[in-house]
Amino acid sequence: MIEAEVPVVNKLGLHARAASKLVKLTAGFESSIKLIRKNQEVDAKSIMGILMLAATQGTQIRVITDGPDERDAMDAISEMFEQCFGEDE
Amino acid sequence: MLALHGTGVGAGIAVGRARIINRTSDKITQYPIAQEHVQKEIERLEKGIETAQHSLFELGKQFGKEVPEEVRALLEAHSLMLKDPLILQESSRLISEQWINAEFALNQYGTRLERVFEQIQDPYLSSKSVDVAQVIQRVLGAMTDSQEAIGGQPEGTYDGEIIIVNDLTPADTIELRKHRIIGFVTKLGGPTSHTAILARSMKIPAIVGMHGSVGYLRTGDLLIIDGKRGVILASPDNRALAAYQRRREKIIRRTQALETLRDAESVSLDGQRIMLMSNVELPDEVSYSVKQNAEGVGLYRTEFMFMNREQMPDEEEQVEVYKQVLEKSDCPVTIRTLDLGADKQVDGGRSADNQSTNPALGLRGIRLCLHDLGLFKPQLRAIYRASIFGRARMMVPMISNVEELDQLFRLIDEVKQELAEQNYPFDSELQVGGMIEVPAAAIAADIFARKLDFLSIGTNDLIQYTLAIDRIDDEVNYLYDPIHPSILRLIKNVIDAGLDAGVPVSMCGEMAGDPAYTRILLALGLREFSMDPAGLLEIKQIIRRSDVSQLKLSLPKFMSATEPEKLRQQLVELNR
Repeated sequence: MIEAEVPVVNKLGLHARAASKLVKLTAGFESSIKLIRKNQEVDAKSIMGILMLAATQGTQIRVITDGPDERDAMDAISEMFEQCFGEDE
Repeated sequence: MLALHGTGVGAGIAVGRARIINRTSDKITQYPIAQEHVQKEIERLEKGIETAQHSLFELGKQFGKEVPEEVRALLEAHSLMLKDPLILQESSRLISEQWINAEFALNQYGTRLERVFEQIQDPYLSSKSVDVAQVIQRVLGAMTDSQEAIGGQPEGTYDGEIIIVNDLTPADTIELRKHRIIGFVTKLGGPTSHTAILARSMKIPAIVGMHGSVGYLRTGDLLIIDGKRGVILASPDNRALAAYQRRREKIIRRTQALETLRDAESVSLDGQRIMLMSNVELPDEVSYSVKQNAEGVGLYRTEFMFMNREQMPDEEEQVEVYKQVLEKSDCPVTIRTLDLGADKQVDGGRSADNQSTNPALGLRGIRLCLHDLGLFKPQLRAIYRASIFGRARMMVPMISNVEELDQLFRLIDEVKQELAEQNYPFDSELQVGGMIEVPAAAIAADIFARKLDFLSIGTNDLIQYTLAIDRIDDEVNYLYDPIHPSILRLIKNVIDAGLDAGVPVSMCGEMAGDPAYTRILLALGLREFSMDPAGLLEIKQIIRRSDVSQLKLSLPKFMSATEPEKLRQQLVELNR
């Protein structure tokens, strides 16, 4: 199991567009992936779960990956957050 | 007999039987299941979700290649939600904990989800509760094999009926085109809802925003709906029925009589040529505009492409759509750049951070575009690239300041230079005009006329801004008055400024398509009208019966009238 904190840096936060990109990414990993914000824990493979986090710019999100490809999953997710989900800002 | 009121959309009267289409969840029943059946219920749920995914896929296929972009985005979002493990997990948990049937568990979980979304502070995310509801509906519909779900009915099931429904989704509106429905009544929605757009494009009347009063209507009731007045008469007595039938026939006869004017010239009795153009939103509407013999498109609104979707259309997609629009018409097509903000909020998250208390005076129209070049520049590039496929003109909304124009022209130069370097052909002489809808621009119209190739008066906003009344606010909209002396003076000022600068002035607001104002506008010197193409022939008829030079003689009396009552009286006389 790996844990890491990632900040939401893109301007729009985890909006529908970012959330669908994230879901499409996480669906490709076997590991279970959780996102935690404050006390709320959601499945990163669930688009509605991610949307319900309502994470805006500046929010810190704890990511937990657990499974055979947990390292790859964590790397890919952190990269997607850093790259602002491919948005301009 | 029962009379109900709502917001009328589309002209005309429909008389027919009501058909209430209930959403499946309105009749979900709860029944307990035996513990040993828990697994079976969960399997039923899985199967339901699978069927729903399949039906969504089939729906997508039905559109073939011509899936409107906003529908495609919606289908994709819904299909992601259907694949969401949360729905299955949480509903299954309810089934195994409470020993209840799958439909009830799903409905219960769906309601909870909707509520969670509604409570999200962010208005954009919060609006996703609608999508959640629609996805749950689709699964429920698949599980109960409901006869009343809108989708999947054989072609023609609803022929000749008036459909009554809470609200229509974009997907519903596509499904409903398969039936020859004669009218719509919806509980929710306003004049710009999907229902309204569908009704207008099907040329049938609709009454939207009925709220609780739809509850009085029953399937099979004989209804009269009057789109112009926003009235529904349920189970009318014979007298009302006869009266409305007569009115309906009269409208039909008038429409048929107007048809004979289709090929007639738009010329006044004293030989003045008046240009009649149309306002359109969808590429399809351009064909209708051509059929009505409009002399061009005076306003092609590009917002539609940007709304109801997650991702903004990119340059290529826009080029494709503008090309389609331009190729449908041999006449000039005026492409208006994005006019978002205020009442037209864009999706894709952009609306979320704009929480101004006064959006009509906020970041909208050209202001928003110049503020967000990531949004605007691809549109400019797309318009220029598409300009070679027809007779394009470009028009920018909401200008209030010359610096905005200077900025715009610098941007245009930049775009042209880039396109030339990238070897894209474009019309370098593309005309650039502006909408005059802010009082500042109307008062200083001479300044703007010198910088632009044409002006177009947007009366809806001009009136709202000048009289400081919000048209959608029920408590003040009685003050909305297109012949308020201030409005007449502003219009005259713009028309005169155009004449002085040698720049054509058109009008594309609702006033231009309202037969009550055609003559006063002619008297003010307006020569180009742009309107909903459905009303074009009626305006043409008025023009052909008007003597412009005579009308002009009565103008001084009009402009000097001070009493609103007297002005109205004069308008009646003018129209006689």
